[in-house]
Amino acid sequence: MNSISRTPWQIQRDVMHALLVREMKTRFGKWRLGYAWVLLEPAMHMLVLVAVFSFLGREFYPGIPTALFMLGGIAPFLFFGQCFTKSLAAVASNRGLFSYRQLRPFDAVVTRVLLEFCIYLFSLVALLGILAWFGVAATFNDFLLLVAVNILFLGFCLGLSLALCVFGERFPEAAKFGPMIQRPLYFMSGVFFSLEHIPEEYHPYLSWNPLLHVIELTREGLFASYHGMFADMQYLVMSSVGMLAFGLLVYRANWRDLVRSQ
Amino acid sequence: MIELRNLTKSFRTPHGRKVLFRDVNAVFPEGKNIGILGRNGAGKSTLLRIMGGIDYPDTGRVVTDQRISWPMGLSGGFQGSMTGRENAAFVCGLHGIWGREKRKVLGRVQEFAEIGNYFDAPVKTYSSGMRSRLAFGLSISVDFDCYLVDEVMSVGDAHFKHKCQQVIAEKRKTSNFIIVAHGMEQLKKNCDVGIYLGPEGLAIYDTVEAAIAEYQKGLPQAQKKKTAAGNPGRLVNS
Repeated sequence: MNSISRTPWQIQRDVMHALLVREMKTRFGKWRLGYAWVLLEPAMHMLVLVAVFSFLGREFYPGIPTALFMLGGIAPFLFFGQCFTKSLAAVASNRGLFSYRQLRPFDAVVTRVLLEFCIYLFSLVALLGILAWFGVAATFNDFLLLVAVNILFLGFCLGLSLALCVFGERFPEAAKFGPMIQRPLYFMSGVFFSLEHIPEEYHPYLSWNPLLHVIELTREGLFASYHGMFADMQYLVMSSVGMLAFGLLVYRANWRDLVRSQ
Repeated sequence: MIELRNLTKSFRTPHGRKVLFRDVNAVFPEGKNIGILGRNGAGKSTLLRIMGGIDYPDTGRVVTDQRISWPMGLSGGFQGSMTGRENAAFVCGLHGIWGREKRKVLGRVQEFAEIGNYFDAPVKTYSSGMRSRLAFGLSISVDFDCYLVDEVMSVGDAHFKHKCQQVIAEKRKTSNFIIVAHGMEQLKKNCDVGIYLGPEGLAIYDTVEAAIAEYQKGLPQAQKKKTAAGNPGRLVNS
């Protein structure tokens, strides 16, 4: 029988594994197109933006096809958006699962973020590959930079999600403003522009946004002819570590209250 | 062993906090079956969930080295779009049961629940009886030192109830139970120690009979007999 006693690490691993399988089944099982949806969502976003900006009739950024430029912004932003929306509702939507004592909101949030992260990386690589196959390609720049940026980005989203899952549970009314915050962020994070397109006098306001740095640095890592001139790695490191610490602290201070009957 | 240390639990109500129990200290040795009784809303289920590590007290803690189950027959964690088998596999995974061991447990669940091919249909297509059968089958197929039972022994038809009875009698040889119930007969039969949640808080009795006597204080004599006889329609062990 299953009379082995597990170490805390084994329990954590088992819980995450079980949740991951479950998330995969529920996320992809619902729709007819299932797994294809992973690629379709960013692809559709990209097509819309490409269609809009190709009316301008010029090369959007010298040396980089517009589709690739957009993809470099859309893919990270979609990942961020998924983390943002899902984690606000994470506690309420997983309430039934907390009757299993080893499963706490932390596991639900971390699993969700990790899954979204994998989906993001997969969709980015797959779409880059598909576009390259059709001849839409740019010279690749810096793999190590991409690795560093994505690790930091993951840390940032993890911290943010942990904080938001607490926030969404404690202030359900305020959580309704979530989408309202997310939409302006779409326009402020450089999804369809580079900081170089913006007059320099506005930079001090926009460059507070860590997401902008993520997107700029992702493009710089992807494309040799992109110069993330104003992107600041140091700022990204600080904001990621800061956000992760903040998220963990907020969760740590509140986690029992998330599950506790009041 | 299950030890309660300085447990205090209260609920927020429109008229201030209602304290269910305050500064409870107790040690329940291994091998004791615990019966919890009290009126509706006294906090029986909350205490059960706190002892099982699912809910948390305001202050204090529960110390145990036992593997304690989720509340038996619980179906709230099922995902409607997943099949019964997938849901059962998820719960197995949570408890570290993978591979061949998992298939064995799934086999036991399927056999016990008697829902036939519905085991591979989405749970949202189940009737409530089938859901409970699946949930109950899952509870008894995963092995624990201590099972939590929260008045759910009333699932299914007479045939299924009889089956549950047998399985629980079998389980009692190797595991313990913490039971919340209103059926005195069931408590007497299954429990060694009684916890009574009254208006003055929590009291622990060495025998469940003493707790029942305390609970029934103030009830008219005829009423006592009736509750003592139990309500055969609801309980497995009556």
